[in-house]
Formats: sequence, structure tokens, C-alpha cells
Amino acid sequence: MRLALRAAAGFLAGLLLWTAASPAYGRLLAEAAEPVLRFLERPAATRLYAEERRLVIDRADFASRSERPSLPVDDLTFNVILFLTLAATRRRLFGDRGLLYLLAALGILGVTHVAAVVVAVKAFYATQLGTWSAAYYGPVSRTFWAGAAHFYRLAGCWAIAFVLWWVLLRPEVSAAAPTPGRREPRREPKRASRLRGRG
Amino acid sequence: MAVAVQPMNDHVVVPFTAKIVTVSTATLRALGEPARALGTQIQAAGFAVDVKNGCNGVEAMLILVAAVLAFPASWRERLLGIAIGVAVIQLLNLVRVVSLFWLGVHRRDIFETFHTAVWQTILILAAVGLFLLWSRRIGSRAPRA
Repeated sequence: MRLALRAAAGFLAGLLLWTAASPAYGRLLAEAAEPVLRFLERPAATRLYAEERRLVIDRADFASRSERPSLPVDDLTFNVILFLTLAATRRRLFGDRGLLYLLAALGILGVTHVAAVVVAVKAFYATQLGTWSAAYYGPVSRTFWAGAAHFYRLAGCWAIAFVLWWVLLRPEVSAAAPTPGRREPRREPKRASRLRGRG
Repeated sequence: MAVAVQPMNDHVVVPFTAKIVTVSTATLRALGEPARALGTQIQAAGFAVDVKNGCNGVEAMLILVAAVLAFPASWRERLLGIAIGVAVIQLLNLVRVVSLFWLGVHRRDIFETFHTAVWQTILILAAVGLFLLWSRRIGSRAPRA
């Protein structure tokens, strides 16, 4: 019951944080993803900027009058709610180095969000711009970027949240866990419980 | 990833989604919302939703089924776990579709938040929670050496 309450509190905290921080976080993601995208292209032409809860894609070679495409940033970042829900199930989240692990996990999650933006923009370039896409992206490249974007939305975003929680914050990972190399005292099986089992 | 294959999507996922839409529309009508089903769409005056992958509960079902199949248990226990789990997920998904449509009609300002973040997270957590409950139950029954 307590676990469910902690999870519910984490869910609400995650939802509030995600809702409140999304516009600013979108700007941060745009600034972080743009250099990566420009590094991956010749000539470097992509400009990214956030507008409300969307990332607008601009390119130096887009016609000046054409409408700029955009991607919903929320679709790429909402796994933070799942992650914080899972993280909240840890008993002393802010003790036993929990805060350190939490910040580290959020940092890694942020890096995966930058990667998700890069993949989403490349998938957009590879599949959504008609003849331009066909001219600049071959079949293998199109399949790769579209597959990567699809995988992230279908399973990757959930998997990242679960893996980060499992590796860094699951309840068993705490100072109470035995240190590698140190042997736990061996316990004899309880005779009483054995006898009870026989009825 | 099989659901991403076009024939699988066209012949299994889309008809399945259309059934979800039919049930959801009937529920909405029973609740007094003048909605009608059209394929995978639920329509009303001034608002319509197209139920697609991500909103049909299939992803959550697949996570649950994959986890149950990978867990060491008898086939009878697995099939029972899958049947109950899928039923619970689809019931929860019915609440999702109905509530999202209601929000779209009456509270458009918070529709997107619930559509993108709230319900997707709840469905995935439900799938994982159901698996944990099932595996704990099976694990406690398993004979010990």
C-alpha cells in the first residue's frame, strides 16, 4: 500500500514537473540537439528552436516562405514521468546517495532525450520531405532513421526509464546492500519453519 | 515489433482497434455523449479522435505478454496470466479512450497532457504492475528445492 502511495506521489510530482518544465526543457533540448544534427550533415544547415511545446525545424536551404515543420517535444520526453514514478518507490529516495543516483539518472535521461530529438529530426528528413528525402537519404538510411524513431516511441522510451530505475534506483540498491567482496554471515535454515511446512 | 509490419497492422491491429472504438462509442453513448463510430474514429459535433497504435492498449498488452511468456511458469499459469492481464489492460484502455474523448469535448485545454503523458504512463505501469503481481503469485507457489 505504501509502495502504491509512493508511486502515486512520484507520478504526480513527475507530471507537475514535466508539465511546468516542458517549454524551458524544449529550448534546452533544441540548443543541445542542434550542434549534434549540424555535426551529422554536410553542409551544416539545420536550425532548431522551441515554440511552446514543439520543436521547429528550420534549414538554410528551406524556401524562405515555406512553412517550417515542427515536432512535438512532449512525445519524446514524457518518459520522465514514468521514471519518477518508479524512482519514488525507493524508500529513502533522498538518502543513502539516492539523490546523487537520482540526479545522475535524470542527467542520463536528458542525454537520451537529446538523442531522441536527433533521431526524430533525421527520421523526419529521411521520410517526410518527398523528393528531397529520396534524393538525400537512401533506402538503408531511411529505414535506419525511421526504424530508430519508431523503436524509441514504441519501446525505447519506456525501456530507458525502466533501465535507469533498475540500475540506479531500484529499492534493493542502497547502502544496506552487501559490498562486493564482503561475505554475509551464513545462516542456518530455521528448523521451526520446516516443521510447520510439514503440517 | 511484429505490430509494426504493415500486413499485421492492416489485418489484425486495425480491426482490433475498430472493435475498441465500437465498445468505447457504446460506452460514451450510455454516458450521454452523442458519439458515433466510424472505423477507428469516434466522432461528435466539433470533435473527433482517431484511435491509433499507442492508444489501443496493444503496446501494454505486448509488454505484459512478452514478460509472462519469458517467466518460468507452466503454460496453464501463463495463459491464465495473459487472459486476466489483457482483460484488465483493455478495461483500463476503455476508460482511457472514453475519458480522453470526454476531455476532448469538454476540457480541450488538458486533453493533450492526458493523451500524451498521463494515460500512456498509467497503461505501461499497469502492464508492469500486473506482471509483478502475477509473477509474485506464481513465484510463491513454485516448489522449492
